[in-house]
Amino acid sequence: MSKALINADRSRNQALLRFVVLPLIFLTVALLGGLRVQSDGGVFMFIPPPLVTLILAVLLLLLFVRGALIDPRAWISFNNSLVTNLSAVLTIIALFFASAQAFNSVLPERGLLHWLFSFFFLWTLWNNQFSSFDARRLVRSLIVLFGTAFVLKHMIFANLYGPDSGWLQRLAGSLVQGISLGTLDAPAFSPATGYISFFTLALYISGLLLVMLAHPTNTSPPLALTLNEVEKRELRD
Amino acid sequence: MLQHRLIQISGIVLSVVYSALIVWLYWTEPRTFREVATGAQVAAGTYQVDGEKFAAGLSLFRREQFRAARDEWQRADPAQNDALTQFYIAYSFYREGWGRVYNDDELFRQGLERVNRTIAISGQPFSLSSNEDSDLQIRTAAELKAELEQGTERSLEDANPLKLMRKRK
Repeated sequence: MSKALINADRSRNQALLRFVVLPLIFLTVALLGGLRVQSDGGVFMFIPPPLVTLILAVLLLLLFVRGALIDPRAWISFNNSLVTNLSAVLTIIALFFASAQAFNSVLPERGLLHWLFSFFFLWTLWNNQFSSFDARRLVRSLIVLFGTAFVLKHMIFANLYGPDSGWLQRLAGSLVQGISLGTLDAPAFSPATGYISFFTLALYISGLLLVMLAHPTNTSPPLALTLNEVEKRELRD
Repeated sequence: MLQHRLIQISGIVLSVVYSALIVWLYWTEPRTFREVATGAQVAAGTYQVDGEKFAAGLSLFRREQFRAARDEWQRADPAQNDALTQFYIAYSFYREGWGRVYNDDELFRQGLERVNRTIAISGQPFSLSSNEDSDLQIRTAAELKAELEQGTERSLEDANPLKLMRKRK
């Protein structure tokens, strides 16, 4: 196969990934992030993103820019065609709502836990604003952040308050409720909600990894970070 | 280059359509896959009432089995989007709730909700056509609404003994 043909294929695949696959992945996350299945009757509930998740999504988008996962100046530019710019804007909007809904997916729906989780997310993202990041480290840190929240919400707390949990779990749940004066109350959802949330988060992280693939130049750390002191001195000389 | 542009445009179109679908889902909040399908039919303008179930409901209504009639009509019009079915449901609430001495306020209130829905769906003054159910004395949604509203209001007229002579419509 000629080099030109390989390049054409690569270019087409990259375009498919950037302009079709990525927006669709992020929109799917935006759809599933607010979906819950009630424990009685398996009825769907669509929970729109609470205000706090929009703020968290803004902070996360700022981190994406700082970590060079997305480069708005390259994505939206006077040098690009109108369609390319429009497509980039749509992808960023989809990424914003996907981020908000990814938080929504692991945030308890009400009570003290909702505010505790929100506070910890805010605290983490705010701290990260002042740390040095590259895209890979950022994605790794997000996997840990979302993974921890997922385990807490869908495995630990869901078991404490679930209608089909054992007597020991119910006892622990009642104790926690009593100690917290009922402020840790959480709605009981069907186990399907946990699976949907897991799939949503996996899709979201895959989307972020694909952003790195689709825009490879973004992900390489700045030159100044990769060179050691001797190389920097040589370069200056 | 042309292929590239085509991919971009199809990506934009897909994204816009998908976004609209997501907004619609969060707006209408369907509770089951069946409701999603019904809602999609309404949105696409292909929604139709199940004629068989509607007729079964009508037959029960004429035999004064109002609750069973309503059940059939609910199944005939799951999206609650057909003015005629909603009018009949409201009428069944009226007939079941009507009493010579006093009316059942709760049933009248539910009837009022349905008749308001009938008016909202039809968009114009709703009335039964002349060949539809000539037994029904109330022929328009506005008349039924007035009747239901009067039934739930308290007034000195309630103490009038002549009220016992009135007839159900």
